[in-house]
Parts: sequence; C-alpha cells; structure tokens
Amino acid sequence: MIITLRDVNKTYPGVVPLHVLKDINLEIERGELVSIMGASGSGKSTLLNILGILDNYDSGDYLLDGVEIKNLSENRAAELRNRLIGFVFQSFNLINYKNALENVALPLFYQGIGRRKRNAMAMEQLERMGLADRAHHLPGELSGGQKQRVAIARALVTNPSIILADEPTGALDSHTSKEVMEVFRRLNAEGMTIVIVTHDPGVGAATNRIIRIVDGEINNDNV
Amino acid sequence: MFDLVREIGQTLRNNRLRTVLTGISVSWGIFMLIVLLGASRGVTNYFEHAMSSQSNNVISFWSGVTSMPYKGYKDGRYIGLKSSDIDAILNDNPGKVSNVIAFASVDTARISTSLDVLTNGFEAVYPGAQATNGIEMSHGRFINERDIADARRVIVLAAKNARLLFGSDSLAVGKTVQSLGLAWTVAGVYDHRWRSQSMVPYTAYKAVTGNTDDAYELDVTVEGLETEADGKAAEKSIRTTLAQRHEFHPDDPNAVWVWNSFTSYLTNKAANRYLELAVWVIGIFTLLTGIVGVSNIMFVSVRERTHEIGIRRAIGAKPRSVLAQILAESVAVTAIFGYIGIVAGTFVLQIIASVIGDVEGFRNPTVDMSIAVKVTVALIVAGAVAGLFPALKAIKVKPVEALRDE
Repeated sequence: MIITLRDVNKTYPGVVPLHVLKDINLEIERGELVSIMGASGSGKSTLLNILGILDNYDSGDYLLDGVEIKNLSENRAAELRNRLIGFVFQSFNLINYKNALENVALPLFYQGIGRRKRNAMAMEQLERMGLADRAHHLPGELSGGQKQRVAIARALVTNPSIILADEPTGALDSHTSKEVMEVFRRLNAEGMTIVIVTHDPGVGAATNRIIRIVDGEINNDNV
Repeated sequence: MFDLVREIGQTLRNNRLRTVLTGISVSWGIFMLIVLLGASRGVTNYFEHAMSSQSNNVISFWSGVTSMPYKGYKDGRYIGLKSSDIDAILNDNPGKVSNVIAFASVDTARISTSLDVLTNGFEAVYPGAQATNGIEMSHGRFINERDIADARRVIVLAAKNARLLFGSDSLAVGKTVQSLGLAWTVAGVYDHRWRSQSMVPYTAYKAVTGNTDDAYELDVTVEGLETEADGKAAEKSIRTTLAQRHEFHPDDPNAVWVWNSFTSYLTNKAANRYLELAVWVIGIFTLLTGIVGVSNIMFVSVRERTHEIGIRRAIGAKPRSVLAQILAESVAVTAIFGYIGIVAGTFVLQIIASVIGDVEGFRNPTVDMSIAVKVTVALIVAGAVAGLFPALKAIKVKPVEALRDE
C-alpha cells in the first residue's frame, strides 16, 4: 500500500463546527491511477490537502509510503512533501519570472542539489514531456497545455512516490485536457502512482479507479 | 550561497521599480549619515588641530586680587607673581613639574627703526613660550637658553611688524631696532594667526628694567597627566606653593587666575565625542526612515508573493529557507543602495573639502575606514531588522495558499 487512511476525521472549528471528513478509510496501491470525484463542498479538496501533507487531520491514521504522517513539524512536512509527493495544480502554479527549466529545477534547489546537476535533471524531465525546446521560455510564453506539462515535469523531477493532481485539466480546453490525461496514463504505465482530484466525469473515466466522495464520506469506491 | 544570490537577483530584477524606489530612501539615509559624520569630523579635526598646535600639559597662572581675608591681611590685596616663584614651584613638585616659564610685559615701550615705530610694547619671555603659544618661526630663531643665560638684547618680531619696521620680513633677521634707548638685535620673525607681540629674553628685560622680577603670567609644564583628577591635583599643588609664598588663602579663587590647558583639553575631547555621538544618533534616525521604507516594501512584497511563497512551500521549501530568502533580499537591497549612499556621501565630502578647504572651525571633512566599516555594519543590521518582521510574516504563509485560486 502506498496510501493508507484509517478512520480519518477532520472538523473545521467555528461557531458551527464543520465536520468535513467523516471516518475516511482508503487504500491506494503502488502503480494505481485513481481519481477522487465529488461536488464542490464534498470534502474532496480537504482530503487532497491531507493526502498532500498540506493540512493536518484530527483523528485517525495516515501512512504514506510507509511513513506515518502525524503531528509533523513544518520542516519535516516540507521535507516529506519535497521527497514523496509531486504536485500538479489546476492553475499550474509556476513561478512567472522563472523560465521552464528553473521552475522544474526548483524542488531540487530545496534539496540542496547543485545548479549544474539540478538543471541536467530538470532538462531530462522536460525532454520526457517533449518540451526541451521550451526550456528557456517563461511561463507567460507557453500555452496552457505546455504549462501543465512543465508543472508535471516539476512534479516528477524529485522522483516522488505519488503524484497528486488537483483538477489538472480545470483550466484547459477539452483537446488539451485529453493530451494531459494521455501524459498521466503514460506515466502510470511506466509505474507511477497518480491520484487525481476532479469533478470532471471525463477525467474520472480516463482513470482506472474512481473514488466518489459525498458529504465527507466515501460513497462509492469503484475499482 | 551562489544560488541564494541568484534567487535574490531574480526577484529584485522582477520588482525593479519598487526596489529602486525603496533603495533611494536607504541611499539617502546613508548619504546623510556619511555627510553628517564627515562634517562633524571636519569640526573635530579642526579642534584637534587647534589643540595640537598648543601644549595641552601647561597650567597658566596670572596675577590677581584676593577675595578672602587671610593671616591678618584684608581682602582686595593685589597678588603680583614673581619670576622667583619659578624655583619654588620646581622645588615643591619634583618629578611632576618639568618646566616653569614667566612672562612680563612692558606695554609702554616703543620699538623703532629709521623706517617706522611700534607702540604696543614688548613681552619678556622664556624659550618655552614658543611651544606654549604655538609659535612657528618663518625666519631666524626664537629666544633660546643662551639668550636667557647671557641676558642678550635680542628681539623676536611678528612678520607684519617686521615688514613695518624693515620693509621685508625676510631681511629683518640680524638687523637692530631701538627700544628703551637701547639697541636690540632681531633674532627671528614668526608668523601666527593672531599673535603679534614682540618678544625679548626675560633676563634682558630684568636687566634693562632694574632687576624687577614681576611676572604677569607663569606657565607651568606638568608631566604624567592622565585623568582630570591628575590635572586638578597638579593645579592645586602649584596654587598651594603660590599661596604660601604670597600669603593668600589656598582656596581663594581670585588671588591668582588659572587656565588649565590639560582639563580644557579633556573637556574639548569629551565635547568632540559628544558631537560625534549626536551625529551618529541623527544619522541613525535618518537611516531609520530608510529602514522603515525597506520594511514596508518587504511587507508589500511578502503580501504580493503570498501565492508564490505558498507554491515554494508546497514543493518543499522549509520555513527557514523562506525566512532566509526574505532576510537576504532585505539585506541585499539595504546593502547595495547603502553602498551607493556611501559613495555619493564620500564624493560630496570630497567636493566640500576641495571647495571650502581648511577654513576656521573646519578641517579635512572626510570619513575614514573605521567609519566606513561601522556604517557598513549598521547597514547590514538595518537590512536584517527591516526584513525580520516581513520574513516572520512570510513563514506564516501556509502551503495550502498555493492550492487556492487567486
């Protein structure tokens, strides 16, 4: 198992406390291509934040690639995110004043890897995404699909245990969306574990397993 | 390290206008600090120069009038100092007093040549008067020990008086002038900013005035003074000797008048220190305006870059690397523009120095290496302080921010 969630609960405190995740139990195996689907407000973003070690949970257990994710310091969380997880976001989240190569190399900078080696590794991933000729372009000079492929290259550059994608096609037209999903399928075929959060049934259909979340509970785990 | 420099360079280039605008306020602060420090240095240099041209271990005593009754004498009695006091002072303060010289004057004496007449008299002095009065000879020599021993009738003239009497100051040496019905040989000519009295050997004065040993002033050179207390003690000891000899109360403030060049020297030195301190305070506050500007801009920068910081955090930036980056950016902005301020300030000081030169009250207004180092340290501290609060705010940015759409 690469991901194991056991009875995970999350409540946002407030005048009226909001119980967003209710006893979530979830297992994802190495090499799976999974989509988590749900309407907005269903708790799927919170689930993604917890899976991505971006947010903490109140009770339960979360094991990511054998590491227990609980009560981590900010430093340890940052280190685990850097090493275990590759993020792909809806709005790409590239740094706009850095060129494609520098953006891809950035996670390696935080591992303390030297510039020459970093750029070589980043270039390798850009080549893998077919963007070697765009390495020195700024994000503003790239199309949406190219930007998302740069973001995927950045997610891959640290050789993570899983890729977490949050609505990766949300900002793309349907043609480009298909291309990006093809990239994910290809990566999965090469053995990468990929979890995609989406509300787009087309994206869900392109994955091998759909986890539906409704009102903070897993409603239907369709393998 | 090099990577951090590249990161900073990239973000600063990305925000060029904002960086420059903030930088100008820092440059201005440092510029003012340097110019103020340089100007105050000009003033203190002048004081130090003025002090160095006069001895600072001489205590001068002048004849006075008693203000306290003592041993049956009423107050209001004139105390005339004598050249015979010299030996008494030397004997009472062995090892401490190295030299005592007396001054007397003949105000009514006329000094004449065939060309012109001076009517402001002459002073009778010892060779030590040259040092205590800060006199530099332009021609010939000052009165020496042989003149004193042999009571030679020689005279030292101020340059402007020599020109009056001989038409030229360089030709005066070796010629004679007439005074009190006698011929005096000109031994030397001096140039001084404001002194102009003619001077003769004290012993020659004694001989021609019928062995009077009146002295209007005694200058006592004291050795081994370190603290203000030393200066005061020496002054009191000499005053006691004079009190015994002239029978006035040792605590009478008016019986003899005293000017203690050592304690004045200490006071001047302290005043210079306070001046420099005051300038630092003013300069630092000026700089503070710049620092607040940098701090402000760093806050804006952190706010604008919340999303970017969130992305960095999400892909693995630890809080401390975010902190380090914001601090380093702040120090870089402060240091770069501060350096521009230092260069501009030094340049302006050079212009001031060459335009007005060494005038009265102002001398060589420049900043030296030690000030440059202190200012640089102040700059780096300032930059770090300016960046600290924005940086602490930046590390509070949660990586979840990256997932939120703007």
